[in-house]
Amino acid sequence: MRRAGTGSINGLAFFILPSAMLFILFFFLPIGLMAMMSLLTGNPVVAPNVAFTTRHYGRMIGDPYYLEVIWTTIRIGLLTTLIALAIGYPLAHWMARIKSRAGHALLLMAVLAPMLTGIVVRTFAWMTLLSDKGVINQTLISLGLITQPLKLMYNETGIVIGLVHIYVPFMVLTLTGVIGRIDERLEQAAENLGASPLRAFLEVTLPLSLPGILAGSLLVFALSISAYVTPILLGGFQIMTLPILIYQQISANFNVGFAASLGMVLLAVSLALVIAYNRVLGLVSGQHDLQ
Amino acid sequence: MTKSSGPLRLNRRHFLAAGTSLGVATLTAPFVARADEPVLNITGWGGKWGDIMRSDVGPAFEKEFKCKLQTDTALPFLPKLQASSRSVPIYDVLHTNSNEQWAAADMGLVEPKVDPRLVPNLADVYPYAISDKIVGVSIFTSAIGLGMRTDKGFGSITSWKELWDAKYNGIRGGYVIPVNSLGQAFLMMCGTLFGKGQTDLDAAYAALEKLKPIKLVDFTGAMEKLFLSGEVGIGVIHDSGIYRYDGQNQPIDFVTPTEGVLSLEQVLTITPGSKMKELANAYVDYMLRPDVQKKLAETVWYSPANKKVKLDAKYDARLLTTPEKISKLIQVDWKWYNAQKDEIDSRVNRIFRA
Amino acid sequence: MSAAISQTTSQGLSNERAARSLRTAAPWRQGRALYLAVNIAVLIFLLVPIAIVIVFALNPTPFIQFPPVGVSLRWFEKFFASREFMHALGFSLEVAAITTACASVFGASAALAIARGNLPGARLMLAVVLSPLMLPAILTGLALFQTYVLLDVGRPVWGLVAGHTLVTIPYVVRTTLAVLHNFDLRLEEAARNLGASPTRTFFEVTLPLIKPGVLAGAIFAFIVSFDQFPVSLFLVSPGSETLPITLFNYLKFDLDGTIGAASVVSILLAFVVVIALDRTVGLRSYVKL
Repeated sequence: MRRAGTGSINGLAFFILPSAMLFILFFFLPIGLMAMMSLLTGNPVVAPNVAFTTRHYGRMIGDPYYLEVIWTTIRIGLLTTLIALAIGYPLAHWMARIKSRAGHALLLMAVLAPMLTGIVVRTFAWMTLLSDKGVINQTLISLGLITQPLKLMYNETGIVIGLVHIYVPFMVLTLTGVIGRIDERLEQAAENLGASPLRAFLEVTLPLSLPGILAGSLLVFALSISAYVTPILLGGFQIMTLPILIYQQISANFNVGFAASLGMVLLAVSLALVIAYNRVLGLVSGQHDLQ
Repeated sequence: MTKSSGPLRLNRRHFLAAGTSLGVATLTAPFVARADEPVLNITGWGGKWGDIMRSDVGPAFEKEFKCKLQTDTALPFLPKLQASSRSVPIYDVLHTNSNEQWAAADMGLVEPKVDPRLVPNLADVYPYAISDKIVGVSIFTSAIGLGMRTDKGFGSITSWKELWDAKYNGIRGGYVIPVNSLGQAFLMMCGTLFGKGQTDLDAAYAALEKLKPIKLVDFTGAMEKLFLSGEVGIGVIHDSGIYRYDGQNQPIDFVTPTEGVLSLEQVLTITPGSKMKELANAYVDYMLRPDVQKKLAETVWYSPANKKVKLDAKYDARLLTTPEKISKLIQVDWKWYNAQKDEIDSRVNRIFRA
Repeated sequence: MSAAISQTTSQGLSNERAARSLRTAAPWRQGRALYLAVNIAVLIFLLVPIAIVIVFALNPTPFIQFPPVGVSLRWFEKFFASREFMHALGFSLEVAAITTACASVFGASAALAIARGNLPGARLMLAVVLSPLMLPAILTGLALFQTYVLLDVGRPVWGLVAGHTLVTIPYVVRTTLAVLHNFDLRLEEAARNLGASPTRTFFEVTLPLIKPGVLAGAIFAFIVSFDQFPVSLFLVSPGSETLPITLFNYLKFDLDGTIGAASVVSILLAFVVVIALDRTVGLRSYVKL
């Protein structure tokens, strides 16, 4: 970790100003305004008598349905993150360690291709695969292995499959950077000292890649609890997550205030999880930067 | 090393600057180029409706009235209108279904009634098109009933209640009620079928509970595709959604249940803040012309609101083109429904969870 | 750690032989086979849906159907003939290009300030700048939407670009910081010792060296902006719609192969760009988040 010395503030520090301005104007101010909207009865710009109210929040507290929606959102996020980690790590490791340039380029394209198809089309492709008349069911039925189609979508399973597919590239690209920076000679040293490859991996590579694991997990989690297209289509409109509910409030109930309060809840949940993650990150890896 | 990358570095910066200014110029250019002709901002559906509007009806209107028609087909329309400035609304004419028009009128986003002096063709429409159950004017309507696949051996279906038959588990189709007017009308139908009437919500909720398992979609286009691919064998749909595939040999058919069919109106309203009121009214009048109505009705199988329209025989047979047939349509009370919507949506979201 | 390495590598050759024999042992081979099998399975998982998309883009029937009945270019024709799609494609590319430019400038400068500026609240600044990545993008879209409503500005294009820039800056910051952390300060010291002023050192040593990091971040920024959905959902307006939103709306009316065609065109476009970049700049060491 090379810092430019712990001197006094220098000219480069002012380079933060453009981003700081952008964030204040377009991020913190809007979130503050959203917090305000969650406490109003209507839109003050168009409606004449708008008053402060806590009824939007009250609506949530009195009703276990909203807790269920929050928990569904988090649960889907956690499952997606864990599975993306489990299947993304081996691929990231291969990509980081592969020697041939052509091989690396091919792997990179294979990982980037899903990202480039577009989220709508990818979800749609999964619908083609998972629906009752889709590829998987039709193939299994024609092979005689099943008689009734398997329920692969219209439930959380389908959603998680779709989300994992969409976010694994993000996990892989985060991990491959960190793994790539681990000096291979450390693993070789462990093996030379008599450790099996598995043990070398578990006791050298894995711990050193922990910052990448945590960074990638945080990224995938944040992306998956924000997902709208995939959960709504693969869940068959019957699984309700916070983003879907927020969007429904805006698009079909025109209730900007309630949508804002739901948004504040989502923000609070995400912040809590980010802070918890950062605590764990600091404790486990001993580093203080998300590199 | 650093010296040799000097010229390259400068070029890249210039390129970046040039690219950015080009990008900004291209983005603002459209707004400059359109300044010569008056522009009418409307909404419309995509699919077959969008195709015929784009190829035929739209250009004819543009030519006759010397203007440019800009159509938004990205649903939903109302939140965008709600978010736009009242004095510069993003739409001059709003085309959507009755439920949304009522909500829009409630929010003061559209004018509740169309002026018959500015839209002379209003004199020739069926009473339902400007009834007190309608905001603005209905230019077309469809009948909401049941659709079915004809190749699954279901026999003849005659009643709404058959939708609840357990033999259809796994191939039953319906709509996401909070966002879709067919679903909302269907909910009120459930109240009539199993309870005291359209407003009997308790009976409707109980009926909906028993309707599961069911495949839900948010728009009729998606329901049509579910029928075509066989994912759904019986479901709620409007006649247009089935009949528009006429001639394509698809094994689907529409059922007019004995208990009655609900009205799905295509309604036009004008925004109060519109700067193009004259053109907007001209557009509404244009869409009510018999020849325009005939062309659109025969493309998407909507029933025209203008009494004077003479459709070809095969359309005439199946669509609602006589006062007698039109009177069978059940119009629902959207004003009442919209007032209960928050509560209904909360309940329905709970009912339909996997 | 480094002491241990030098110790073992000095014993190098004899241990090499031992290590090699270790590597031909059965558990190693089984482990290697399992490793490859898992990776191939993951690759198949990643690529099968792409294959489906391509099949669907070429299948002539106007709804989802498997098995496919033939090969036809009609959906590509429909895609290129559609004014809406072409406009959306162009608009998406424009927005992505402007977003990438902004994110690169803002992100690189922020990374420089955080890593080298001796800012008192550097860690906080880093958390702030990375926050759009850590928080659901739908919140960014929703909050901006409500702000624009309150300010009565409608849904302007610059508003959309601002939203995209916010959610892409973190990628540029991360990749640039990664390069800065491995930065060899002695290069700057050398330039300084040779008489260059701090400004000249900055422009002729520092900037070129962080260029790969910024470039890698820019690639992600472009891809993320081009495929961005939750922010765009709230911020697009009639006539200014991005391709993902247009595709999503198209799905409501027509579930046919046109969206497959759109997707195939996007992939091909992006591959051309990625291959070109790899040839000129060499992406291997830089394309990591």
